[in-house]
Amino acid sequence: MNNIMIGRFVSGNSWVHRLDPRTKMLITFVYILVMLWANSWQTYAWTTLFVIVLVKLTDQPFKLYWDGLKPIFWLILFTVVLQLLFTPGTPVLFSFGPLRVTVPGVINAVYVMVRFVLIILMSTILTLTTPPTSIANALESLLGPLKKIGIPVAELSLMLAIALRFVPLLMDETQKIMNAQKSRGMSFSTGGPVKRAKAIIPLLIPLFVGALQRALDLANAMEVRGFKDAVQRTKYRVLSYQKTDKLAFVALGGFVIIFFVIKELAHV
Amino acid sequence: MKHSIKRKNYDKIRVMNQAIKINNLKYNYDSEQTLFHDFNLEIESGQWVALVGHNGSGKSTLAKLILGLIESESGEISVFGEKLSIDTVHHVREQIGMVFQNPDNQFVGATVADDVAFGLENKQLPSSDMPQVIDEALTIVGMQDFKDREPHMLSGGQKQRVALASVLALQPKIIILDEATAMLDPDGRATIMKTLQNLKLKFGSELTLITITHDMDEAILADRVVVINDGQLILDGEPSDVFSQYDILRQNGLELPFVVELEAQLKPQPDGYLNERELIQWLSHLKK
Repeated sequence: MNNIMIGRFVSGNSWVHRLDPRTKMLITFVYILVMLWANSWQTYAWTTLFVIVLVKLTDQPFKLYWDGLKPIFWLILFTVVLQLLFTPGTPVLFSFGPLRVTVPGVINAVYVMVRFVLIILMSTILTLTTPPTSIANALESLLGPLKKIGIPVAELSLMLAIALRFVPLLMDETQKIMNAQKSRGMSFSTGGPVKRAKAIIPLLIPLFVGALQRALDLANAMEVRGFKDAVQRTKYRVLSYQKTDKLAFVALGGFVIIFFVIKELAHV
Repeated sequence: MKHSIKRKNYDKIRVMNQAIKINNLKYNYDSEQTLFHDFNLEIESGQWVALVGHNGSGKSTLAKLILGLIESESGEISVFGEKLSIDTVHHVREQIGMVFQNPDNQFVGATVADDVAFGLENKQLPSSDMPQVIDEALTIVGMQDFKDREPHMLSGGQKQRVALASVLALQPKIIILDEATAMLDPDGRATIMKTLQNLKLKFGSELTLITITHDMDEAILADRVVVINDGQLILDGEPSDVFSQYDILRQNGLELPFVVELEAQLKPQPDGYLNERELIQWLSHLKK
C-alpha cells in the first residue's frame, strides 16, 4: 500500500519543485484541457513528449511515477477492453459472436490508454513536487475571487491540505490493519466476490474508528495552537511568481500553439 | 488602611505566581460516573510538575479541562489569575502550549516548518517574521536540520520534538505534555526528556512545565510530583517524598521508578528516597 503515490510529496530542489504552485496547477489544468483535443498519433506524440520532458525536469526516479500509475492499472485495462470490443467500424480484424475487434477500436484503445497515463503522470508531477499545503495555498489563491460570492475558500483549502496530509497516514494504517487481520487468518484475496467484500468490513470499521479518533485529536491540537477560523490567518508560504514561472508560462504557450499546429497539419 | 493595601498587593503577587489554580472542580464523564469531585490543585509559576496516575485516573481529562477543550460541571480554573470561561478561553490558550500523546495526530503541516508555522499563522504573525521564529524554535529542540522533511520521514521522537517546537514558537508560559512519550521507543523518550531538561535550564522560572505521565522514571525529573487516581489527589510533594510512599503508589496501580523499586527491595533500606547518584554513593558506603 506504500507504493500508492497519489498525493504523496517528495521534497527536492528541481526546477519543477521551485515553480510557484499556482503555475504548476495552471499548467496541469491547461495541459489536460488541451490534451482532450488530441485526435491523431502526432498530437498524442507531442503531448507525450511534453510530459516526458517535464518528468525529466522533476529529477525524480521514474519508479515513483510508475508507482503512481499502478493503482489505476485495472481501470485503464477495463476502459481499453471496452474500447477494443465495442468500437464499431471497418476494417474488422477478427470477431467472435457479437463482439468485433476493429482497427478504429484498436486505435481508440491505444489513445484512451495514452490519455489515462498522461493525465495520471501530469497530476503525479504536480503532487510529487508540490507540498500539499502549497497546493491548498495555490487553490486558495486561484479561487480567491469566489470569496466574493460567499464561498469559504480559505476553510476549504485548509480542509484539502489536511485531507492530503492524512492520505499517506491512512494508507499506512490500512496496511497495518490488513496485516493484523491476515496474521489472524483473514484472506483478502481468495474466495468469491461476496466473501471478499465481507472481508473488507473488519478492515473498514477499525479504519473509520481510527480516522475519527485522529480527527478529534487533530481538532484538539489545532484549537490549542490557537486555530479559530481559516480566514483570519497569515501565511507562512507566500506565493509570488518568479522569472522561472514566466518562462514556464511561455513554454506552456509554446506547447499549446505547436499542439494546434500539429493538429491542423495532421488533418491535412 | 495601610495594612489592607499591603495585604492586597501581597495577594496580587501570590496570584501572579500562580500559574494554575483549580478550585472545587467537578466533572463527570456521564451522568453515572463522576471523575472529579471537589478537586483542588495549585501550580506555582516556574515549577516542573509531574502529574502521575495510571490509565483512566483522570490526568489527561484534567489537562483538557485546563485548556477549555472540555467543560467542567462546576468549579473554577484560573490561569495566571484569569478565570477560564467562554470569553477568556482563547486568551488562556495563548499562554498554554500542549503536546499530545500521538505524534501523528498533532502534525498539522505537510513539512516540519509548515507545522511550526501553523500556530504562528493562527496568531497572525507577519509572514516575513516566520522563518526566524521557526528556526529559533526548531533549534531549541535540535530539529533545525529537518525543516523541509515530511512527517513520514521522521521518527516518533522527532515528531514529538517538532510538536514541542510548534508549541515553543508560540512562547507559552505553561507547557503541558500529555503522555507525550508514551508512544515512543526508549531512545525517543530519552531525547524528549533531555530536551525538557534543557528547556527548564534555558527558561528557568519563565516556564511552567506540566508533564502528565504514568512513567515514574520521567516523574522523577520534576520538581513536584502529584499523584491522582479516580479524580482524587493521592499524593503531592517533592519526588523524594512521594517516592518514599512505596505502598500508596503500589495501591494506586503505579509502578515505582527503577531506583525506587531497588531501594524498596534493599535490606537494610536507605532513609527515604535517594536518586540514582545518591544511591550509588550510599551503596558504595555500605561496602566499606
